[in-house]
Amino acid sequence: MTRRISKYKRFVMMNPIIQFFKFIYLSIKVLIVVAGGHGGTRQLEK
Amino acid sequence: MSKIVILGAGISGHVAASHLRRKLDKSHEVVVVSPNSNYQWIPSNIWVGIGRMKSKEILFPLAPLYKKKGIGFKQAKVTSFYPEGDSEIDKPFVMVEYVSETMRGETEKITYDYLINATGPKLNFEATEGLNPGTNKAYSVCTYTHADHAWQGLSALIEEMKQGKEARIVIGTGHAKATCQGAAFEYILNVEQELRRQKVRDKAKITWISNEYQLGDFGMDGMLLSYGSNIMKSHEMVEMVFEDRGIDWILGAGVNKVEDGLTHYETLNGEQNTIAHDFAMLIPSFSGHGFKAFDKNNQDITEKLFKGFMIVDADYTPRPYEEWTVQDWPETYQNPSYKNIFAPGIAFAPPHSISKPRKSSKGTEIFPAPPRTGMPSGITAKLVADNIIDSIKQQKESLHHKGSMGNMGAACIASAGFGMTKGSGISITTYPIVPDYKKYPDTMGRKLGKTFGEIGLAGHWLKLALHYAFIYKAKMKPFWYLIPE
Ligand SMILES: Cc1cc2nc3c(=O)[nH]c(=O)nc-3n(C[C@H](O)[C@H](O)[C@H](O)COP(=O)(O)OP(=O)(O)OC[C@H]3O[C@@H](n4cnc5c(N)ncnc54)[C@H](O)[C@@H]3O)c2cc1C
Repeated sequence: MTRRISKYKRFVMMNPIIQFFKFIYLSIKVLIVVAGGHGGTRQLEK
Repeated sequence: MSKIVILGAGISGHVAASHLRRKLDKSHEVVVVSPNSNYQWIPSNIWVGIGRMKSKEILFPLAPLYKKKGIGFKQAKVTSFYPEGDSEIDKPFVMVEYVSETMRGETEKITYDYLINATGPKLNFEATEGLNPGTNKAYSVCTYTHADHAWQGLSALIEEMKQGKEARIVIGTGHAKATCQGAAFEYILNVEQELRRQKVRDKAKITWISNEYQLGDFGMDGMLLSYGSNIMKSHEMVEMVFEDRGIDWILGAGVNKVEDGLTHYETLNGEQNTIAHDFAMLIPSFSGHGFKAFDKNNQDITEKLFKGFMIVDADYTPRPYEEWTVQDWPETYQNPSYKNIFAPGIAFAPPHSISKPRKSSKGTEIFPAPPRTGMPSGITAKLVADNIIDSIKQQKESLHHKGSMGNMGAACIASAGFGMTKGSGISITTYPIVPDYKKYPDTMGRKLGKTFGEIGLAGHWLKLALHYAFIYKAKMKPFWYLIPE
């Protein structure tokens, strides 16, 4: 195994308190991308 | 009064049925035809496949829910399509064959005003010699029964490893043109973590085998992601994770045969190689179901409806990769010949792949087919339902709701290990799903802020939260419709 993720990064990735805030941030970000709408492409092209 | 028949009760069929029922009054009939008696939340199968969830936690029976909500349900499979009716019936209909215990083998002609074909893919195990879930030490996690079976195989191997056995685990795609790399990616990381939890990780060599040209292609031609304050390519991110987890990889591999403990594959440079396995999980190729269609005079018109999967409003003109555009992708999922037939989710025929096509020096095509994950399946099903609702209410065709995969975002919350404190997830969002190289020429066809990756415990919580939210939604509990697709 090659350690590609530093100890500090791993701490951030697995720390429940930091990750709790990440969870809120991610939920909002995912919602923005997904609920951010969708549509056609052909009309836009014209 | 209209009758809407929905074929399939997977993510897209069920989404369409629920929205139609909610928005149309009871004078209109909504009927679901599907061979499965249970609804299953497929994305959680990977946890069933590592024994951390029971299959009963990811499914529920459809008949009682549909009865309560006033949705007709026929536990049957469609066999052929008659979009003009036949000499006896003047209305369009589908021929179905019942699979329920009480009516097994009986057939019925089910007429419709609108038809939604949401039959998803056929899991085409036959396309790879010897690939049959549970035989030759190779498994699948594509359904909950397959995932249960995979866990039986894996747990038996873990027991042997505890006795000192050195094991070889191979996970990835089981065909040169398979798709759904994301599911295999989640499974390999979950298996790796489960082996660590069971304290046998040092006994296993784990290998990723895939038809992708580069890691992180995911059938989406790879992507450029914002990752924290950095920008990285998806292959760099996956490489980082695999190296960190001690997972090897074989790329550009078209698996063409599986024997007891052996996976045979052709590489892009034309070599035929073999890798041994004590446990393999290989995603099969997905194909259309081989349905037939007939006109009023019983003439075969299959080519008007199907091109493997169902023909919709895509541009199917064959063109080289360099000339592909997002405009090739469908917007309304309507069949051009029969305007009252729609095919959302995986059931529609894509115009081409998303990943760059590649051939081995022997001429074998080895590249991923385009994925259509749960989110676009749900979104396309809802927009089809909304167009049908508008058409019924306005009494004229309305195709106001559009959703091309070239103008739609998707989130892939890939589990990388189970556990409230030890779990992990790789959250990736992409916008658009199909890269728009004209609009975003410098960022590999995607909008950077909306295309991002994150790794950590929060990803696991998010995946788990989505599991509960989507099962709540599928059970049509109060305010279910507020949860987006
Ligand atoms: C292991 C795994 C993990 C995944 N994880 C994720 C994830 O994390 N996120 C994500 O977004 N996507 C994920 N996906 C993809 C997602 O599951 C699919 O995109 C989605 O299920 C497609 O929905 P669908 O309704 O088009 O097809 P399906 O869900 O396959 O539904 C098809 C339906 O049609 C029925 N049917 C089949 N034949 C007939 C017939 N002849 N007549 C009538 N009905 C028929 C089937 O019984 C089924 O009910 C995963 C897939 C797998 C396999």
